[in-house]
Order: sequence, then structure tokens, then C-alpha cells
Amino acid sequence: MALTKEFYRALEDIVGPRNVSDDPAVTENYRCITAQSSAHSGPYETRTPKPQAVVLPGCTEEVQQIVKLCNKYKVGFKAATTFWAAMGYIGNDNSIQLDMIRMDQVEVDAKNMIATCEPFAIGATVQVEAMKNGLNCNIAGVGCSSSTLAGSAGWVGFGPSSISMGIASENLLGVEWVLPDGEIVRTGTLGSDGEWFCGEGPGPSPRAIFRGWTGTAGSMGVCTKIAIRLHPWPGPKWIPTRGAAPMYRADGLDMVRAYTVCFPTWDAYAEGFRLFYEADVCYLAHRQFNMFGRDIKTAMVEILTHPEKQFRDLPEVMEDPYIKAQNDEMKIDVQVVVAGLTERDLDYKEKAFDAILAQIGAHKSEYYLQPDIEDFVKLYLLRLARKNYNYTLCSSYEGNFGLSPNVFVAAPLMEEASALKREWEQTHTGVAAVGGDSDMGSASGIGGGGTTGWEFFVHFDGFDRDSITDSCAFIDRTQEWMIGKGLGADMGRWNADARKPDGYDYSQEEHDALYAGLPQPALAIYPWKIREAFNPNHLTGTYMKTMTPPEVKAAQKAKKTQKK
Amino acid sequence: MAKKTLYDMKPVKGYEKKLEDFFPMERRCSNCLGCKFVPFEKIKSNRFGRNCPSVWYYNFNTYSARGRFQLGQNIIEDGYVKFEGQALDAIFNCQACGACDVACKVTRFNLEPLAHNIALKERAVEKGLAPVELKAMAKQLERQKSMLPDAKKADRANWAKGLKLKDVSGKETAEYVFFPGCQYAYDPILQKKAQTYVKVLQKAGVDLGYLGNADMCCGGRAKQTGFRKEFEAEAQANAAAWKKADVTKIVTPCADCYHAIKRQYALLGIEVEVVHAVELIADLVKAKKLKFKKNIDLMVTYHDPCHLGRLGEPFEAWNGTEKKILNQIHTWEPARPRYAGTFGVYDAPREILEAIPGVRLVEMERIRENSWCCGAGGGCSVFSPEFSDAVASERVTEAQATGAEAIVTACPWCEINLTGIESDNGTFMEVVDIIDLVAKAL
Amino acid sequence: MATKDSLVAMLGKANVIDDPKVLASYAESHSFDLHFAPWFVVKPKNAEQVEEIVKWANKTKTPLVPVSSTGVKLRGDSVPSVPEAVTVDLSGMKKILNVNRQQRMVVVEPGVTYDQLNAELAKKNMVIPGSLKPKKGQSVVTDVIEAVPRLNPMIQWNFFDPLRCVEVTWGDGTRMFTGEALAGPRDLKTQWSRQQWQVQYMGPWITDYYRLITQAQGSMGIVTWASLKAAVKPQVHQLYLAEADDLTELESFVYKAMWTRFPDEIFILNRAQAANIMGKDAGEIMQLKEVLPPWIVAVGVAGRELIPEVRFEARSKDLIDIAQTNGLDLKEGVANLSGRALYQEITKEDTGGTYWKDVYMGSHQNVFFLTQLEKTPVFLKAVREIAQDLGYPTEDIGVYIQPKHLGSSYHMEFTFPYDPNSAAAEARVLDLSEAVSVAAADLGGYFSRPYGKWAGIQLNKDAQSLMVLKKLQGIFDPNDVMNPGKLAV
Repeated sequence: MALTKEFYRALEDIVGPRNVSDDPAVTENYRCITAQSSAHSGPYETRTPKPQAVVLPGCTEEVQQIVKLCNKYKVGFKAATTFWAAMGYIGNDNSIQLDMIRMDQVEVDAKNMIATCEPFAIGATVQVEAMKNGLNCNIAGVGCSSSTLAGSAGWVGFGPSSISMGIASENLLGVEWVLPDGEIVRTGTLGSDGEWFCGEGPGPSPRAIFRGWTGTAGSMGVCTKIAIRLHPWPGPKWIPTRGAAPMYRADGLDMVRAYTVCFPTWDAYAEGFRLFYEADVCYLAHRQFNMFGRDIKTAMVEILTHPEKQFRDLPEVMEDPYIKAQNDEMKIDVQVVVAGLTERDLDYKEKAFDAILAQIGAHKSEYYLQPDIEDFVKLYLLRLARKNYNYTLCSSYEGNFGLSPNVFVAAPLMEEASALKREWEQTHTGVAAVGGDSDMGSASGIGGGGTTGWEFFVHFDGFDRDSITDSCAFIDRTQEWMIGKGLGADMGRWNADARKPDGYDYSQEEHDALYAGLPQPALAIYPWKIREAFNPNHLTGTYMKTMTPPEVKAAQKAKKTQKK
Repeated sequence: MAKKTLYDMKPVKGYEKKLEDFFPMERRCSNCLGCKFVPFEKIKSNRFGRNCPSVWYYNFNTYSARGRFQLGQNIIEDGYVKFEGQALDAIFNCQACGACDVACKVTRFNLEPLAHNIALKERAVEKGLAPVELKAMAKQLERQKSMLPDAKKADRANWAKGLKLKDVSGKETAEYVFFPGCQYAYDPILQKKAQTYVKVLQKAGVDLGYLGNADMCCGGRAKQTGFRKEFEAEAQANAAAWKKADVTKIVTPCADCYHAIKRQYALLGIEVEVVHAVELIADLVKAKKLKFKKNIDLMVTYHDPCHLGRLGEPFEAWNGTEKKILNQIHTWEPARPRYAGTFGVYDAPREILEAIPGVRLVEMERIRENSWCCGAGGGCSVFSPEFSDAVASERVTEAQATGAEAIVTACPWCEINLTGIESDNGTFMEVVDIIDLVAKAL
Repeated sequence: MATKDSLVAMLGKANVIDDPKVLASYAESHSFDLHFAPWFVVKPKNAEQVEEIVKWANKTKTPLVPVSSTGVKLRGDSVPSVPEAVTVDLSGMKKILNVNRQQRMVVVEPGVTYDQLNAELAKKNMVIPGSLKPKKGQSVVTDVIEAVPRLNPMIQWNFFDPLRCVEVTWGDGTRMFTGEALAGPRDLKTQWSRQQWQVQYMGPWITDYYRLITQAQGSMGIVTWASLKAAVKPQVHQLYLAEADDLTELESFVYKAMWTRFPDEIFILNRAQAANIMGKDAGEIMQLKEVLPPWIVAVGVAGRELIPEVRFEARSKDLIDIAQTNGLDLKEGVANLSGRALYQEITKEDTGGTYWKDVYMGSHQNVFFLTQLEKTPVFLKAVREIAQDLGYPTEDIGVYIQPKHLGSSYHMEFTFPYDPNSAAAEARVLDLSEAVSVAAADLGGYFSRPYGKWAGIQLNKDAQSLMVLKKLQGIFDPNDVMNPGKLAV
């Protein structure tokens, strides 16, 4: 379904010929190859549909004109920034893709602790601009290479620092949004006074339709600029590094400590998290290196901190008696950063931290107290710059299990989940055999605690078709297990109802059938109504999950009968 | 330890890597964005956070290393894309500066974005689809042994006129052969700087010779632009001349030549010790064979040339295979060197600058292995001047942000490309060859 | 009589009131806006009855006005703006449904009040983050849903904290849970048996339903329970005070204190407002005004279950140091006002006698909006000038400035006491509050909670947001039965 020349010319008029292309060299590159992305629906060996054109808007007004044009010609569209995840890509053939790369500005209001960010301002750049002002931002667990705006408006957006900084939704202040019908909405103070500091109201918050738990995944138009709440940073204007590339380490962070806590039991783990929330001791808390796998995590840190070592050295390093002993000790672990805004603050937090560990019988890992390792961990966690370690072992991974957001529900199930994965690793070859438990996640998903991140890493080879198929089968297996435990969808299938395995959008009939059994059908019925009100031409895909209201269905049926 | 000299000229196994051989890499790239930014933990500002000139300028994902991986996959696996239109534009508008390569290797052990980009160029060249300007350049190389448009082989040694330099192509011998590279050999302004290099080195007592008219282009630029055969021809001709003259040590003031001889020739079975002139000068300063006596009151910033810095690491040709352990973890057998820019030539030029009385060095944000390209790489200054100038302007802007009065560099290509370029605010900056400061301070 | 019969059939005779005297009492408020006594007042006992009422209202196109608090009505949002409305009085729904110490969560019905809730929470060593000296009978749920500022902004990661999930019957009669509670069965007991404690308020998909009932003045739906995040009760606590002659002197300290997050409570009062809070009668208020400093910043420091003394000491010393660096002397009291006494006054419900802001002159008008701290002096200057122009004594103007949401925004509140028995005073205060509202809006004051006339002032500033609001009202309350006339332009 090629675009009309008229449509394409109009796009050129809006953004300039240099910023639009329908050349296959460009359009084919804006298809998500799902085995190479954490799509939370795969891993499948499919591609999302090819956009009819890719357009690079440079400002909000251009975005608005593009969206209005799409409405006029009934052409679908989706905007994305970093194109890492499948959520950002279109879902049908008659669509164009907006790449927001040209909109990359970030400004910091230091006094009021606010940053305004355009779509292509990524976590790393927003953070460094904040740090210049003694401030910091929550970076989603996905890593600092991801767009702050996309993480705030488009997807879930919690991360290691959420325990002290909250989830992206909580930090989101004013938002500028081009609705699916082309109208521009500026929330809260932005709409009325051009100020960014409050995104709620007036009256009931229109923001309700832009950002729930998952963010809109591009289904409610195009978010063009946001303001976020910043948080205190007790360090230098940027984190100085030492060491040879790429084994950099943080230098000179006097007010920051990094620890790995070893818990005696999963019960102690859950209780420890609860106490971390309550005593506000953690700047950041994340089970990080376990993502490599329980058996290999310490050996991996050893390899990653020594430039001369490579993965081929893994078996040997794993057998090193010291490394092995350290690894065994931190079977149940979490990495924690404690930061003091003053000397007294640091002293209190250290004491409180130690008191918690004593109370639950946990201790600090000796391995991670080595200055070189501690400084590596500090840099890793504070800047969250190495998302690609997610892929370093085998080239691809998919998040899996998800378990329960309540640490007290999930923790007792961890060994059973780990055993299930370990068994698969031993009886199949498609998934990396790393010791079953490869869970990674933030100690808190929301400000001050209460939800917890659980994501097992299923490492597979995106080049190897057998590996892709096998990892997919494994996620089918864990999905069964999750359902059996009453825990809902496996994380590897979170988006399975937003995009079909072939990469395309669902039809309304398909969505209706999927959601017929919802315990509270309003969950899907109201989004249908919201879509009809704000996206009358249905141009932005099916990440907005909807179910036709019964009264509309009845009317449709009656109409059909009448026609007959 | 001195490098063993080897002129057997038998390419190492695996050198003949074709685009198809990169297929696993194309599928194993995970679209992490690393190839568009300075390694994230090293970013110091939003303004100067980007690393790849190509995707910075053209914006479409196809112009990034990730985009080219996907492009390659689209071409090889699926035939969705052909060598035409914007595919060619994206393939050639890459400076081959290697910034993507070192950023990628911060976390990945099994991807070679730079080699892949060059493989794409090579395939396009094989198909006769290179930009006409590059084809002309290759023709010139074939005819005149230089890619510079007006160069004549017969004039190659003109730069050395008046110098008391041993001609090792005859009977004379010298410890070091001075290899000026095409820019220093032919450009009238740079010729004088080449002479200065020689005079300075001679003053410090270096036993220096040159190859006279037997000298020719290193071919490095041909390799960067995808003209592999032409590169090989130059490399082999140079090696033959060196072999004949029994050359064991080469000193060059050109970063491109340095990289070609050090990194690319090794793959062809040509191994000779090569040093960049700044390395030698830094050693001479340390050894007090060169003493700076004059004060130069100047605040400078140093631009790391890509081919001297991140691409100038000691190199070892590797030949091995992939092996999976623990079901799916990728390893190499035997261990494969990993070039992450760690051991490039960064300190020598800085040591020189710091040793000159009155010179104050202030650093730009993107330095050492994360230096921003001058814009001249990959032949872009020849066939894509607007792009090349924009990249240079970005660098001048970054240099101005330091408060420095001049940009110092150690590569003729960088020097030419940065000179006379306006920054974001429409002003210019003095660009200084490091040798001029050295000579002035002696 | 058909209407009454229907209501009685739904709720029983005792829960349907049409006694004119009682009806009239539901129309009394501090608001000067157009208002009507309700046609009936109904008192549902549970969510099922509320759902039934809303469905009936849709069928009969009867306006409904929810109210959950008892006692004096301060803003008029729960008073009908149209005739023949039925007031749905939820104040009898007073059950505390669940208290969970592990997650510090509590689930309460709308009629639960602060003192009631805190008494229950104290059994598990918790407390609900409160607002400034709530009135007697104040519904905690309404207070939170209407985003009345909390004294402690440091545990407001989200703008609406401590509000988490709710059960709501929308204007169209659909009853549902929100947030994580919407993903499961519509049955709290089943959810609790799965250790789901209604902690996570977002979504659960793309839409944040609970945001649609916030600041809505009952115009979107009726909430029948809300889950709230409690805090651990302090074992050691001190409300420190520092004085200043001018508001601007407090700015750098408050910004820095907000940056550290060391305070628990933090807010600013001027002398008139502090006197209003502390004074038992007009005379005492006048005396206090004589001795209190012009401006007071109050900063609470707490130690809780874990090494409370260490935390308390560290925070206290740091904040005192920060205050000193910023030219302030932070101590346990100023003049003859002790921090402890002030803390006691502001953290419990009012006496139930004359509302505390009315003690001085008999009545008051309030104007409040959101702004940023650095801009507050501009508003102050403008308000004083208007007051002077209108002959209102500036020394009577009470000012309360409260950081919200980790300091992202600041609630700025002006209180104008007046004598309700003087027609002239009443007319003057009416003019004053209107002029101040307009001036504040012109200066960028944001009426996020646009009661009464503020709706017109605020909503007219931003046509696009109004359009979104109208569309949302069309979806969730298509027949406009929920408190019509509110949020109207």
C-alpha cells in the first residue's frame, strides 16, 4: 500500500526533503527484528511491518502537521526515539514511522529541580546535565541509552534508583503531547501558563489517558516534550572515571558507597527490602549482576573488570576457589548504593544499613568491597550505562517470569522458578546454561517501595534459529507455570496481546475475544471509548488494548441484522 | 619490544572476509544505541554526547553502525534492499573513524562494526557503485600512486628538496625511514611542515632516511573507502620497496599512514615497526634530546586523530573460530584481541604539549578513544564536502567551548579539514600542526 | 413521590432524607457560589447501593452530589449547583477495611476521618500523612482525592500520594477498582488472600483511572474505598521553627532543605496564619499576632523504628547547619510558639466547634493555587496591594505555603478572615477574594483544584485541556449526572 505522491510531497513540505525517505534502505531499517529486541512478546523470528516512509520531525509543530496529514489520508503512524524495543514500531502496512532523533534538547532548572527533555534526550545526557547542577534523574532499568521521554511517557520506567527517586510516572511533570487526531495538549501548568512544574489537572488529570503503568507505547499520539522531577546528587559535575577503556571505574565519589548484600534466605531478602524502603537508606538498590546467571555472575564481573580476560576464560575463572566461594556466598544478593548528602547523612545511612543487615542476618560481600570492584559497580549502577551487557553473553535476551510485584509473594517462589529454568538449561541447548536463577530487578518499582522488579534473563543467540525457537518454547513453559501459580502473564509475553507474533496489530475482533474473560471488563472497555474520542481514525496501533463495549456490539449486531 | 619485520606478504587466513561472513554479527547486534553516542558513562554533556558523525548528520538509523548491520542483513539475507539509492549513500557516508567500533566494544565481545562498514563499501566498490569522486581518486592512485587529485608520481620526493636526508632506496641506510604520506608530500603548505619534522628529528640526532621516489601512498584511505584491491596494490608495492631497502623502522607524521601500516598491512603479512612522529618526539623530549627553551603563551586543545588514537592500537592479526560454551555463550578459539581503543597513541602528543613552556592544554569533552572525527575520513571530504564540513564544524565548536585559542593536531588530514571551518557561532579557530609548536619552542 | 419511592426502595426509608431543615444544612458552606439545597439526601451503606443510585440517576437524569465529610463545608464543592439534585452522603461508610503493616497500606471507606484512622493505625505504629489541621469530620479519602496538601511532601513521590487505589462508580454507573486492583477480581478479600494490598496505583494498563477522580469535586464518579500509604509513626520527633522578617529570606533555606529531603514536615506560615492555628479565641489570636515573627518556617525531623535517635540527631544537626548557612536560626520554638505545640495543633482534627480559620472574625475566605517557591513573594506583594486598595487589613491575611510532591510545586494559600455579620465586610472580602483570584491567575498561579469561580478562570486559560476534560467527562459521565455545575466554564 504505497503512499500517494501527494502525501509524500506534503511530508517533504513539512520537514524538508532531507528529513523524509521512502527508500527501502531506510524504511527496511525501521522494522523491528523481534529476535534482536526485547519485545516482551517473543522471541520470535519476525519483523514488524515496513513503514511506507520514515520522517524526522524537528519540532512539535512539524509533528502536529504530520499527524494531521495522517488523519486526512488515514495513514497510520508511530513515533519512537531509540528504536530499541518493539513497542516503538508500527503495526500495519499502511503506516509511516516518525523518528524523533532531531528533537534532542534537555534543559535543567536547577533551583526547582526540573529537567525538560525532548524525545531524543537519553538518560545518559539528561543525567549529566542534571549532575552539573547537583542533581540526578531516575534512569529506567532499561539503561541510560534509552530516551527519558519514552521511558516516562511510553513505557514502564522504573529502575535501580526508583527506591529513592520513584518511577518515571511519578517524576513526570508537565507534558506536551500531540494527540492522535493532531490536537496539541499541554498538561497542567504548561497548558495554562507555559510552566512545567505541575502536570496534573486542572481538576481531574487529563494526564490519566497518557500514562498508566505501562505508558502508552506510542498509542496515544506523539509526546514531544516532558518535564521531569530531578533528585539530589551528592557528587561531581560528572563522574570522573579511571582505568583503561572499556574497564572504566568511578573515581572520587567520596559520598557514595556501593555494596553487595548477601542474604541468608529469601525471607530475609524480602524483609531486607521492606526495611530498605522504610529507613530510606538506599540511593539505589538493584539485583544487577545476577542477570548473568547465578553460577557465573562473579566470574563475569571478574572478566568484565579485567581487560585481558574474555568469555572463554569463564570456566577457569568460575573454578577459581576464591571466586567460587564468593559466588556461592551471594546466591541471594542485591547491589546497593548508599549516598550521603552530608557526612552526617552518610553516617546515619551506613549505620541504618548495617542495623538492617544485622537484623535479618545478612552481610556485605567481601568480593565487592575491593576498591576496584566497588568503583566499577558504582559507575555501572549510577550511570546505568551498560545495558548492552544484557546481550553480551549470547547477543539476545528476553525478560522472563516477572513473578509478582510484591516481594513477599515472589521471594518464596524464587527457588522453584530457578529450578524450572535450571532444568531447561540442562535438558535443552537453546538457552545459556548459567545456573537457573538469572533474575535481575530493582528493589523498588515505585517511590519509597512496595513493588519490586523481577526479570529473569533468558540469554539466547539471535543468530541461531534453534536458540530462538528453544528460548521461545521455554517462555511458553514458564507462562504455564505462572498461570498455574496465579501470577498472570509471564514477562516474556507481556506484549503478546498488543502485537501478534507476526509483528502486526490485532483486529478489534481479536482483541474483543482476548479480553472477553477479564475479571473487570471496564479495564478494556474504557480504553475503547478513549480511543474513539481521541483517535477516531485508529491510526496508532494496538498497544492500546481495547474491547468493544457490549452496548456498541449490540448496536453493531442490530445494524447487521437490519441490513440483511 | 621491537616488532619483528616480516615481508612475506601472505595475507592471514580470514583476511578475505566477505560481507557474507559478517552475517552472524548483523543478526547479533542488539540495537543498543551505543554506536550513536560516546560510551555512555563518559558523556559529559548533551551538546557533545554523540560519537558517530554519519548518523549525527543524516539522522536516519541506516547511517549508524546498527543501521548498517541491519542494512547488511536486509541485503544478504532477504534481498529486501539492493545496492542503490540511499543504501549507497549510507554505506559511503561513513568516515570509518571507528568511534562506533570502540563504543560497541565497551560491552560487546563479538561485533566488529567498523570492519562491517568497510565490507559494505568493498562490496559496493566491487559492483562498480562507488561515488564517481572516489572512483576518480582510485584511478589517480593507480596512476600516480597518490589519491590527491593533482599529485604526480614524479614530484613525490619534491618535499624533501634541500634536506640532508639519506635516500635509503639507494645504498644509504638509516635507522628510521621517514614516510611523509601524500598530504605532507604534495601539499605546498604541509611540505614545509614535513621538512620541519625532519629537521627536528635530525636535530635530536635521529638517524633518518627516506625512500626518495620509491615512496608512495600507504593505501589506507583506499581501504577506508572500500577500494581493497587498490589498497593491497599500494601496500604490496610499499612493502616491496621497504624489503628491498631493508627497512625495519618507519616514522610517519601522518595518522592515516600510521594506521594503515600498523593495522592494515599486518593482515597482508606485512609487519614492520612503525611509529608516529609524535611518539618519537615525546621519547626524545623525555630523553632530553629535545629541549624546549622558548616560551609559547598559548592555550591549546588537542584533537586526537582517529587513526592515531583509537585506531592506532598495537595490532595482532588473529585467525580463529567461534566456539560456544555453556550452551550459547560466544567465545573465540584462540583468544581474540579486542580493540577497544585502550592502547592508542594519546599520551605522546599531550606529553609534548605539556613540556612546552607556556602552552596550556585544555581538553575537549570528546577525547582519546572517544574523539570526534575531523570529518575527512572515509573519503567524505572528497565526495561529500557538506557533510565533511559539518563534522569539522562540530569539532571546532567543541574546541571553542574549551576556551582554547588553537586546536593542535598530529594528522595532516585533520589539519586540512579543520582549517578555515566556521564553528556554530560563525567564528574560526587556528589549527596548528604539533610540529610547528615543537619547532617554535626549541 | 416516585423519586422518593425509588430511593427508599434502594436504600430503605431511614436512609432517604427529605426534611427541609436537614436538606438546608447540606447547602451551607463558605462558598458564595450559586447553590441549592438538595432534593434528597441519601445515605448508602455500601458500594452496591452507590452503584444502584448512580444507575438510577442515569435513568432518571437526576444530578448526584457526593459528600463524605461532616461539619462545616469549606469550599462548596459538595453543595449542589443545580436544583433537584440528590446528595449522596457517604459519611456513614466509616469502615477501615484493612490495615497492612508490611506494606504500610490501609484501605478505608470514604466516611473515615483522621482521628479515627490514626487511632487504628497507631495500634500498628503507623500514621496517615496528614493535611494542616483538618476540620472535625473531615473525610480522609476526600482530603486526599481533592489533593489537599500534605504536611510532609518528602513521601509524596507521586503528586497524589498517599492516595493509591480506589473503588469508583463512574458517572455512567460502571463500578470498578483502579490501579493494580483493577487487574484482579473486583473483590478485596480475594485480592488480600493473594497478598495484593492495593499498593500500586498506576494503570494497570495505559490509563491512570484514579487520576480521573482526583481534584474532580465529585464530578466524575463516587469513590467507595481508597487505599492509602501510611507512614511509620515517629518515635522521636521535633518540629523546628525559624523566623524571618520577609518571605524572601526563607527561600534559599527551603530550597536547600527540599534538596536534601531531610525534613519530614516542611511548610511556611505567616504570623496571622500561625496565630489562627494556635489561638483559642479572637483575643488570643490578636495577642499572638503581637508577638509572633512575621514569617515562620516549620521543619519536622523524625526518627522512626530503626535507630531513631541517630537519624533524628543527624537530620536535626544538618538542618540547623543548613539554616544557619542560609541566615536562619532553626530552633525548637520562636517567640512564645513552640514547635511541639504547633505540631500538636496541626496534626489532629479541629475541635468541632468554630472552624479554626473562623475563630478570629467569624468567617473566612480562602484563595489557594500552586506555584513555585521563588515566585511566592510576587503573589504576596500583589495580594497585599489589592487588599490595601480595597481597605482590607493586610495584617489579617493568613498565608500558608506548603511544598507538594517533593517540592515540585508549592501550594500557596491566602486566608482572609472577615465578620459575616457585616454586609460591608462580606462584600469587601468577596471583592477581595475575586480580585486576588484573578490577579493570581494573571501572575501564573495555577488553580489545580478549581473550585467555584476558579473553574472559569483556570479552564479558560487552556482550551485544549478543557477539550480533553470535556471528552473524558463525556466518557465517564455521559449524562452529566455527577455534580453538574462544578468544573464549569
